[in-house]
Amino acid sequence: MQIYNDYKDHADFLTVYVREAHPTDEWQMKSNVKDDVCYAQPKTLEQRMAIANDFTKRFKYPLPFGVDEMANAADLAYSAWPERLYIIDENGRIAYRGGMGPFNYKPGEARAWLAGRYGEVKHPEKTEPAPKKS
Amino acid sequence: MKRFLKWSLGVVLGLLVVAFGALSYLAGSPKDALYMVRYALPHMHRGNLKVGDEAPDARLLALDGQTSFHIRERTAGRPLVLVFGSFT
Repeated sequence: MQIYNDYKDHADFLTVYVREAHPTDEWQMKSNVKDDVCYAQPKTLEQRMAIANDFTKRFKYPLPFGVDEMANAADLAYSAWPERLYIIDENGRIAYRGGMGPFNYKPGEARAWLAGRYGEVKHPEKTEPAPKKS
Repeated sequence: MKRFLKWSLGVVLGLLVVAFGALSYLAGSPKDALYMVRYALPHMHRGNLKVGDEAPDARLLALDGQTSFHIRERTAGRPLVLVFGSFT
C-alpha cells in the first residue's frame, strides 16, 4: 500500500484480481487456514466476484480494482498468475515488467522505476521509544 | 551396455531426487512440492512481453459485477501500475 500512497499523485494504479493461487480444492497453504482465507477455486463469475469483494472489504483495500473474467484474458495476456507487477507508460507501452510471483514479485523494483521518474519518497525511520528509567 | 544403462538410470533418478528435494525446500514440504507441480507450474508462465512492447488489453469487471472496463482505458496521460494477484 505504501507505494500507492507515495505515488498515486503521479501514476495510476489498478489491481487485477486473477484466479486463486491457493484455493482449498487445489494447493492450499497452512498460512491461509491460519488467516482464515479459505476459498475453493471459483467456478463461476459470481463466486469470483464474491471473493474479490471479500478481499477488498476485509483489508479496506484502497487501490482501484478490476476482476479478470472467467476466460482469464488478463492473466493470459500478461502471464500474471499467481502475482505479478507491470508498469505501462503514457504511450501504452510496457515500461516495467516484473518477474513471476511469488519468488520474483518485487514491488521494490516498481518503486525504483517510479522513484527514477518522480523522485524518491522517503519515510522517517521508526525509532524505538527510549526505555523508562526506574 | 547393461552397465551403462544402469548408471544412466541411477544418474537420472539421483537428479530427480535432488530436484524434488530442491522443490520441496522452495515449496515448504514434499507435499507442497507435489501440489506445486500439480497445480501451480501448469499456470505459471514467464510470457513473451518485453519492455517497450505495446501493452495488451483485456476486459475487466468492476466490483459491482456489472460494470466492465478495459485495462487500456486506464493508460491515458499517466503511467499505470498493474498489480495482479488473488486473495489466497
